[in-house]
Amino acid sequence: MKKARILKVVLTTILISLATLPIIISNINWPTLARDYLFVNALEETGASNTVSSIYLGYRLMDTLGETLVLFVAITGTMSILLNIHKQALESVETKSTLVPEKRKKNALRTNLVEVVASKLGPIILLFGIYVMLFGHISPGGGFQGGVIIASAIVFLRLGTDVKTKITNSHVLERIEAFSFISLILITTYVLFFPDGFFSSIATGSSFLSAGIIIVLNIIIGIKVGTSLAVMIIAMMGGQRDN
Amino acid sequence: MNILLLSLILCLSIFSLIAKDLLHSVIALSAISILSALFFTFLRAPDVAITEAAVGAGVSTIIYVWAIRHTKRKDGEK
Repeated sequence: MKKARILKVVLTTILISLATLPIIISNINWPTLARDYLFVNALEETGASNTVSSIYLGYRLMDTLGETLVLFVAITGTMSILLNIHKQALESVETKSTLVPEKRKKNALRTNLVEVVASKLGPIILLFGIYVMLFGHISPGGGFQGGVIIASAIVFLRLGTDVKTKITNSHVLERIEAFSFISLILITTYVLFFPDGFFSSIATGSSFLSAGIIIVLNIIIGIKVGTSLAVMIIAMMGGQRDN
Repeated sequence: MNILLLSLILCLSIFSLIAKDLLHSVIALSAISILSALFFTFLRAPDVAITEAAVGAGVSTIIYVWAIRHTKRKDGEK
């Protein structure tokens, strides 16, 4: 049984490598036209010294709106499934993975280790996520990456501390998410009608404010991604409607 | 260096395929994400590296572990 399984894995690996072999050994040059154009013109036209950021928030902004919609639809579907699960079996989920069951009846996911590590690391990760989000036009990173880091920081704060704050409350997070999504759609449609609007730089060079609207879009996308992922993971952990 | 990283990634992915315990598979997938992030950094793609580290090693591991927690362990039949 086990030998047959290993044989299957080896056979699959060989088949996949045979299928990808023509791509690897072919010697076609990569297209360089767009790369050369962006290398010369991207900083002047968008003001962002991170070229990746200038592509996906400048030249290809509508694609980014589409990706945000995909994430929104995925999270909506997940939330609708999760809410049904929690309606069916709310009590049986709660006390499943406790280490010290007599002490941890209130929040089953907290253990001593999680409490110490998560509560101390949470604010630092939150700060780092905000940094990645704000400096997306200069350094590597951007709205989506910063948003994912912010979401893990919110989950850490939720798991680690017993204090109920606004940033770990699902209702507040949902409202922030809806507001940021509406403002993202509004800014994108504004850019559609006034195409000069998002190429106007406030300052020149690679200073902090040189990117103009790219900074605003990074912040909005970061808040949107962070809050929606945090709402989804908090609902997964079984604490959707407790506050 | 590249060959070492790629062979480690290949070994870990084969391990995550054939491992009996699903938690071991998830931890192997998380390690694959971290190694890929290192590899992307060597290939001068730091944006992709940050995305890979944050999504692959962070959020997707949480989601996988949550999903495994809600399944039942089935022993006996080997």
